[in-house]
Amino acid sequence: MKNRIKVLRAERDMTQEQLAELVGVTRNTIISMEKNKYSPSLKLAYRIAHLFGVGIDDVFTYEEEIDGPSGDDE
Amino acid sequence: MKRITYLTCTLIVACMVAAMVGWSMAAGNFLIPVIAIPLGIIVIIACQAQVDIVIADERENRIRGRAALRTLEVVAIGGAIAAIILYSYIVSIPLTPIITGKLVITDDGRQSMTIAEYQPGSVPGPDTLVRSTTINDLSSMNESEAIAYSSYIREGFKENENRGLAGMTIGGCLAAMLAIFGAFYLYYDRKY
Repeated sequence: MKNRIKVLRAERDMTQEQLAELVGVTRNTIISMEKNKYSPSLKLAYRIAHLFGVGIDDVFTYEEEIDGPSGDDE
Repeated sequence: MKRITYLTCTLIVACMVAAMVGWSMAAGNFLIPVIAIPLGIIVIIACQAQVDIVIADERENRIRGRAALRTLEVVAIGGAIAAIILYSYIVSIPLTPIITGKLVITDDGRQSMTIAEYQPGSVPGPDTLVRSTTINDLSSMNESEAIAYSSYIREGFKENENRGLAGMTIGGCLAAMLAIFGAFYLYYDRKY
């Protein structure tokens, strides 16, 4: 799963800490997502998309590949 | 109070209460548990009220879940291996000590018996001898000699029995742990 969180965050001049606080996760989770090491749950993905005011497809792109810890195929 | 501080406090309180209950049971004082257990619960509840709101971070939860599962797998496999190895000391012949008895009839008609213990799986000989004892006259063996004889045989197997007991304890704990895991699995399976 690839995402544009870093870009969207930069466009809004938002820090990782701020984003983490707004969506209710830790900064480590944001860091992991930005590095494409962690795929969020559907709930968190919607929350992030909603926060940026875009569709979920504009933030996350699904690609056939071996995922990180959330891929359940470690 | 951070969550880790709260967990540390809970652990300390639980240990103190368990120690007090254990000591009072041994001392025959049954009033202490009646006071100590509710007091411990009150302290834990008071600590819980001071805990900061923790963000339920999904990544952390997932990592913890996966780490717990891996731990369970490692402990289950390692524990099963250890339990079987230790238990084999009871049931495996090559691992049990070799105990021999030699009866000698002396010139004056006395029956003298020498019992010897040799290292497990070895050929009986002076190099592999662990210990030996001799009963000078079997027909007039007194009570203390009979007790010494039976305890000698018993002690020969004691070390192996202790290992076997440790193996059975590990196996029991493992079975209990897997049963608890199964119970939680069924619970969450029904819940979700």
